[in-house]
Amino acid sequence: MTSSALLPVAALMTSLMASVIIFALPEKNYRLRTLINLAAAILKLTLVVVMVWGVMQGREYEAAFTMVPGVEFVLRADALAMLFAGLSALLWLLTTIYAVGYLENSPNRSRFFGFFSLCVASTMGIALAGNLFTFFLFYEMLTLSTYPLVVHRGTPKALRAGRTYIIYTLTGGAVLLLAIAWLHGLVGDLRFQEGGHFADLAPSLEGPVTMIFVLLITGLGVKAALVPLHGWLPQAMVAPAPVSALLHAVAVVKAGAFGIIRVVFELYGLEATSDLGLLMGLAAVAAFTIIYGSTRALFQVDLKRRLAFSTISQVSYIVLGLCLFGPVGAAGGLVHLVHQGIMKITLFFCAGNYAETLGVHCIDELDGAGKRMPATSMAFTLGAFGMIGAPPLAGFITKWTMGTGALAVGMDWVVAVLVASSLLNAAYFLPILHRLWFAPQSRPWPEERRWGRLETSSWLFWPPMVTVVLTVLFGVFAALPFSPLSWVELIVLREVAL
Amino acid sequence: MRALYRYSLALLPVPALWFALLAEPGWRLELPWLFFGGLWAMDELRHSVLLLTALLWTVAGVFAAGYMKERHLCRFWVFWVLTLTGNLGLTVSADVASFYSFFALMTFAGYGLVVHEGTDEANRAGRVYLAMAVVGEMAILSGLLMAAQLADSGLLADLPAAIADADRRWLIMLLLLSGFGVKAGLPLLHFWLPLAHPVAPTPASAVLSGAMIKAGLLGWLVTLPFGEVSLPDWGNGLVILGAVGSLGGAALGLCQQHPKAVLAYSSISQMGLITLMVGAALANAEAAAPLFAVMSLYVVHHGLAKGSLFLSTAMALPASRAGQRLMWLLIALPGLSLAGLPFTSGAASKLAMKELLKPDRFDFALAAYLPVLMSAGAVATMLLVWRFLWVQRAGASTGNNHPFLWLGWGLATAASVALFWLLPWHADVPQKAWLSAMVQDAWNLFWPILVATLLAAVALRLVKQR
Repeated sequence: MTSSALLPVAALMTSLMASVIIFALPEKNYRLRTLINLAAAILKLTLVVVMVWGVMQGREYEAAFTMVPGVEFVLRADALAMLFAGLSALLWLLTTIYAVGYLENSPNRSRFFGFFSLCVASTMGIALAGNLFTFFLFYEMLTLSTYPLVVHRGTPKALRAGRTYIIYTLTGGAVLLLAIAWLHGLVGDLRFQEGGHFADLAPSLEGPVTMIFVLLITGLGVKAALVPLHGWLPQAMVAPAPVSALLHAVAVVKAGAFGIIRVVFELYGLEATSDLGLLMGLAAVAAFTIIYGSTRALFQVDLKRRLAFSTISQVSYIVLGLCLFGPVGAAGGLVHLVHQGIMKITLFFCAGNYAETLGVHCIDELDGAGKRMPATSMAFTLGAFGMIGAPPLAGFITKWTMGTGALAVGMDWVVAVLVASSLLNAAYFLPILHRLWFAPQSRPWPEERRWGRLETSSWLFWPPMVTVVLTVLFGVFAALPFSPLSWVELIVLREVAL
Repeated sequence: MRALYRYSLALLPVPALWFALLAEPGWRLELPWLFFGGLWAMDELRHSVLLLTALLWTVAGVFAAGYMKERHLCRFWVFWVLTLTGNLGLTVSADVASFYSFFALMTFAGYGLVVHEGTDEANRAGRVYLAMAVVGEMAILSGLLMAAQLADSGLLADLPAAIADADRRWLIMLLLLSGFGVKAGLPLLHFWLPLAHPVAPTPASAVLSGAMIKAGLLGWLVTLPFGEVSLPDWGNGLVILGAVGSLGGAALGLCQQHPKAVLAYSSISQMGLITLMVGAALANAEAAAPLFAVMSLYVVHHGLAKGSLFLSTAMALPASRAGQRLMWLLIALPGLSLAGLPFTSGAASKLAMKELLKPDRFDFALAAYLPVLMSAGAVATMLLVWRFLWVQRAGASTGNNHPFLWLGWGLATAASVALFWLLPWHADVPQKAWLSAMVQDAWNLFWPILVATLLAAVALRLVKQR
């Protein structure tokens, strides 16, 4: 095996091996487990950084073998894969650190971290998958490895949420499989390729291909939480905070969004999708989801539930960006894959910190929390402003790029959607910020814990600090090389040669 | 540590002030790594606004060092610094992303100043402020997006030409005009202003009404298509809005019981007068450049005078009779200056404005009414000043002031009355021989004050008889 094939396999195996070892470790072996977790996360991040560098230089990393005749297993590190892999590797490291602190002294940690690593391995597989079949394998593996995380607490509520989750995602998976099989029967095994395959499609195929597209998007849309397929997501909030953080920022919803990106860009091709009249439909669904998610978020009193509905809204920015038939809009959508990830994970880390440190779960209990936990509240504030799309944060870069892209192709209504969504975001985030900083604490914290010098345990303290700094840096230094914006511009240059 | 927070309030804007005094128009700084490529630069207009902003924040900072209580001092400090950064940054930003970033920073951090006192009234004002500000931000964003996309450029300087040629010029202009108009207190977009400016701590009121309100004006001046096309319809519209603002603001201000509320309405009224100039500049492309010079002058004049007036609301009077008289004189002087008393900064601004707004220079429908509106505005201003002095006197107390209050207010008043004449003005301000011109025009400047004073005396008599 050459080194170009070795790297993507190694990146995948790192977390897979970590998962196996952790399952095998006895429950009480806390130190070794933490060490393996962190070592694997750091190793994987290093491998991904090496690949990012290589891809930047124009190198290709690919490992492929035939499973059964006509069906290939392909791992390939292209620019698009690295966008998702980079995000996932970075946030895995931070979430691992966070989870170690969050689950301190709770039972079944060995099981938790085992599935946690498996979940990240699946995400890595999804990023690197070079064809639909490989993508599907890891997509289902993700479903199965996240289920134990969602029900980790074992409460009736968690089990109920888990059931909903598994029903939604397995059904989605089945629809996806149907679509893949149909497509395979129609045109054979197609690798993802820049520009897509259907640029000059035989007219006789147009009907089935359109149907298949609808099925593919339906299957992927379950995880991406497109309305009306979003029902599982708010319920899955019962999961522990690091799981929610990971689910919302990289793993599940992004797997769906990333799948949609692959299908639109590299299977069908942007032009073909547009010619088939599919982009407008998808854009309408995404726009509706954006507004619907934000509106529902407005009425939630549980902090994590409000964040969940916000995720539904924000992930559809990515989809909407793809539908703006042009390079700038596509860049805006793609860059939100990363931007939404770091902003949302910041917010979930903070929500977890409030819950673990003060016992606060509801928004009206947050009065005066800014004084007790200034750093966490600062991170939350910046994350929230990022979501609103206020400059100079990452969310602003997304909004500006998407808005410019939409105007460039005459889809002015998208700007109205973006503005409406920002207003709604402001309406549900700003009151929280007012409570944090300006409302006096009216009653004692429900369940306060103290950890020495810092406002919370240092395992919980640092991850949101890192992500919030990134939220600012990705916004302010958007023009520098290796910023998410520059990277997606590189991708778009290769994908959309319009 | 507490002392550090307190006294650094006064020192933080000093580097900016230093820079404003030293830097020449034409200064530029390219920041290619910032956002989509940043550019900070200075022209005559920005120079004037920066001077005012830095000066006012400095004196307000000095005042705040004496004024602020220990409670929540650290929080106040953070929001003060953020708002200051936004306000200073936007004046030197020449690219869209920097400008919008600093503008948003100022807007959102300003909320912290408005609600600082934590009373129900402050929270209510804060809510209205924030709701209107967010809507304004969105209007600005949409307008900037559309203009920048058409211009295919991230620089503010390229926007006016692009807007002038745009198919949907009216929409872009409407968005920008209303978005920045929220900050500038344009009639119907002003509701937050008389609520928010008075409830903030006094030094914050001074910068809100003196400096931050001008950020809205600056937003108009750097984005709208001045000097590119003549738009008489927009000129008419803005003259109407300006008239409503200047006279309506004054009328509502006369009904206020609280000195700071009277001053807030006075700010709306003064911005209305500036809106007349904005309208005229839009209506006639050739008039834009000289009007910019006068607007710069007016901005500095109004900012300093209003800052001093706001700070004076928190001053206690000395015990001695003579001291009180002197104090009232010093409190009234910036007010008289607003009304255009000869040999004040207001007289200079008013004369320059009159010189440029002669109806024969314009050919839009409402141009003929400009002189009448300006005179009516001067009368209304003076009436408001009397009202301010009246309610201020009703609530005045005698006692000692913290030395930093004396220093801050003293500096503000000195800046308004004296320092104004030494500041570097916009090079295009007409008629350099100010003082001699003022002698000739003394009567023109003086009669509105006289009329207003007579009206005020009659009103006072009527009130006393009842």
